[in-house]
Amino acid sequence: MYFLDRRILLITGKGGVGKTTVALAIARAAARRGRRVLLAEVGDTDGNPSPIGRLIGRAQLSHEPQPLEERLSVCHLWARSGHELFLRSVLPGAPLIKAAVRSRAVERFLTAAPSFHEMGVFYHLLTLLRAKRSDGARRHELIVLDMPATGHTLALTGLPDILLRLIPGGPIVEALREGQAILNDPKQGAAWVVALPEQLPVTEAIELVAGLGETSMPTGGVLLNRMPTDPFTADERAALDAWFEGRALFGEHGLRRIEAARTAHARLEDAVDAPVLTLPDTPDPAAASSALVDALDRHMRGSEEAS
Amino acid sequence: MTGRVARELLERRVLVCCGAGGVGKTTVSAALALAAARAGRRVLVVTVDPSKRLAETLGVERNPPEPVALPADRLAAAGIAPGHLAAWMLDPQLVSDKVVGAFSRDPERARELLQNRIYKNVTAMIAGMQEYTAVEALHDFVRDDTYDLVILDTPPSRDALRFLDAPDRAAAFLDRRIFNLFVPGEGGMIRRAATKLIERVMDIAFGEQTRRDLQQFFDLFGSLLDHLNHNQAEMQAFFRRPEVGFVLVTSPARGALAEAEFFARKTRDALRMHLCGYVLNQSLAARASAAMPDAAALPDDAPAALHSGLDKLIPLAAAEKALVDEHAALAADLAGRAGPDGFAWVLPALGGGASTLADLVTLADVLMAETPPGSPSDPPTKADS
Repeated sequence: MYFLDRRILLITGKGGVGKTTVALAIARAAARRGRRVLLAEVGDTDGNPSPIGRLIGRAQLSHEPQPLEERLSVCHLWARSGHELFLRSVLPGAPLIKAAVRSRAVERFLTAAPSFHEMGVFYHLLTLLRAKRSDGARRHELIVLDMPATGHTLALTGLPDILLRLIPGGPIVEALREGQAILNDPKQGAAWVVALPEQLPVTEAIELVAGLGETSMPTGGVLLNRMPTDPFTADERAALDAWFEGRALFGEHGLRRIEAARTAHARLEDAVDAPVLTLPDTPDPAAASSALVDALDRHMRGSEEAS
Repeated sequence: MTGRVARELLERRVLVCCGAGGVGKTTVSAALALAAARAGRRVLVVTVDPSKRLAETLGVERNPPEPVALPADRLAAAGIAPGHLAAWMLDPQLVSDKVVGAFSRDPERARELLQNRIYKNVTAMIAGMQEYTAVEALHDFVRDDTYDLVILDTPPSRDALRFLDAPDRAAAFLDRRIFNLFVPGEGGMIRRAATKLIERVMDIAFGEQTRRDLQQFFDLFGSLLDHLNHNQAEMQAFFRRPEVGFVLVTSPARGALAEAEFFARKTRDALRMHLCGYVLNQSLAARASAAMPDAAALPDDAPAALHSGLDKLIPLAAAEKALVDEHAALAADLAGRAGPDGFAWVLPALGGGASTLADLVTLADVLMAETPPGSPSDPPTKADS
C-alpha cells in the first residue's frame, strides 16, 4: 500500500512543482479514507508566509495541531517547542526545568548552535509521532510532512544520522534512535518526491531519488504532478505535427507539452526503481484541488485492493 | 542599437540573479553569461545550485576548488571568440574552509576549527552560510581582474530576497553575544551565571563531550567574527557600487507581479542597490501572434487523422490562447513596473526545457536582441491564414 498504512510521509521536491498542494491533497485523501491525519511543515523562523497557510487561508500555522477539516489537522514543526519539550523530559527537578526554559541565554544558545535548530524540529516531530489519545489510540495515525523546498531537501531524511555523529552521548541519543527507527522503517515511513513531467524536473527528480537512496530513509516513489491527458492517437499526432510545419498556431505548444510529458514519464519509470504515480493537470485552478484529492484517493484505493 | 539587457551585459562588472526556486534562475544566469561572452567579454558565472545538469551542459566539473574555463569545443560550439567563459559550481563547504584558513588568528586555530566535530558536520547546515560563502566568493573575483563580468546565481530561497539579507542581517550564528556566553571564565557575574546554567543543562541533556565540542566550536569561530562583520559592511557597500546590478528572475507560474513589487521595493528603496530589471522566464507571451487552428483551412485531400486530430486540438488551442494572453498581459505589466530605465525581458518556454548548449545560445540571442520578443517593434511572426 502506498500511503495509508504508514505513520509518516515526507513530501519532497524542488520548488515550483506543486509540492505543498500535493501534500495537502494526500492528507485530505487519507482523511477521506478514514485516517486521522496531521499535515505539517517546518516552521519558518524568518516570518515568511506559510506555504500550507497560503493554501488554506491562514497567514501562519500554530505549533499545536489545529483542526482543519474532519479528521485532518495542521501544524508547523517548531524548534523551540522541540527544545522545550526535550528539556522538560530530561532535566531533573522543577527548579532547573523552570530556569532552563525561561532562560533567554539557553534559548539563544539552542537557536544558534549549529544543528540544534534541526534537532528541535526533529524532537517536535517525534513527540507528535508519540502522541496518544486518552483511549490509547494514536492521536495522529498519519503525519504528512511538507518538506522545505530548497536548500537542504534531504536534510531531515539524513538528520538522525548527522545528529548521532554530532552528539555521541546523553539522553538525546535515545530520542534520536527512536525517531530514526520510525522514519527508516519501510513499514512506517516513506519519502515521496513530487515532480513535473518535463525534461529538467524529471532529471532533478531522478537525482533526488538517488540522493534519498544514500540516506536510510525508505523511498516511497515519485508523484508526477500536472500530467496532461493525451487525447490523440499516434496517427493524429503525426498528422498534426506535419500540419504545424511553417504555421504559427495555438495548440502547438500544448501538443508538444503532451509529447514531452510522455517522454519524461517513460524516462522516469526507466530510471527509478520505485512506483511512479501520475496526478492530473487541471487547467481550472478552482477544480484543481478536488481533482488531485480524487486522483490520490483512486491511487490509495487501487493499492489497498492490490495488497 | 543596443538592447537594454545587452547594455547591462556589456557595461556592468557584476550581475546578481535572484529568484525563487523553480523559475529557471540557473538557466537564465548561464544564458546571460553566454550572451556576454559571445559579445566578447571575459565572463565568470558562479552558482551554488547543486544540480548536475548545468555543469554537464557547460562541460565543467562540479565543486572544483577554482573556477573552470569551458572546454575549447564548447566555447567554439557556443560561438565564444574572442570572449571567454568560465563557471564555478560552488561547494559551500570548500568556501567555508577557505574563509577559516584565510581569517583565523593563526594556523593552529584554523587547523583546530577545521577538525572540530561540530564544524566538520554542519557547515552546510548553518543558516546563512551558503549565502555568505557565495558573496565571499563573488567579492574575491571582483577584486582580481581576470574577468570583465561576474554573474552570480544566488541560492534559491523561499522568498527571492533572502540572499540580499545575508550581508545585512547577521545570521544567528554570527551573533557575538552568543559566542561570549560560551567562552568560559569571561564576563561579569550575570554572564557567568548564564554560562553555568547552559553548561549544566547541556551536560545533562546532550552529554559533556558535546558541550565541550560546542564550546570549542564557538571559541574558535568567535575569533573569525570581527573579520566577518567587517567584511559584511564592506560587501554591502560593494553591492551599492554603480557597476553592480540586480536582476529578478521570475516565471508566469510564480506570482511574478507580487514578487517583482516586493523585490523592487527592497533592492531600490530599502537596500539602495541598483535594480536592472526583470527576466520573465518560461513565458508563452511571444506566441501572441499565433492563429487559432481552423478545420476550414484544411486542404480537400487532408487525411482523416488530421481532421479528427484537429477536432481534439481545438479545446487545447483555446486554453493555450487564454494562457498566452495571460502571459502577454503579465509581460506588459512587468514592463510598466520596470520603468523607463529598467527592462522586463521575456524568455520563451523551450520545449525541452533549455537543457542543451544550443538552447542556451537561443536564450542568449533573445537576451542580446534590441527589443524583447513579442514587443510592438518586433516584426510579427507569420500567422496562418
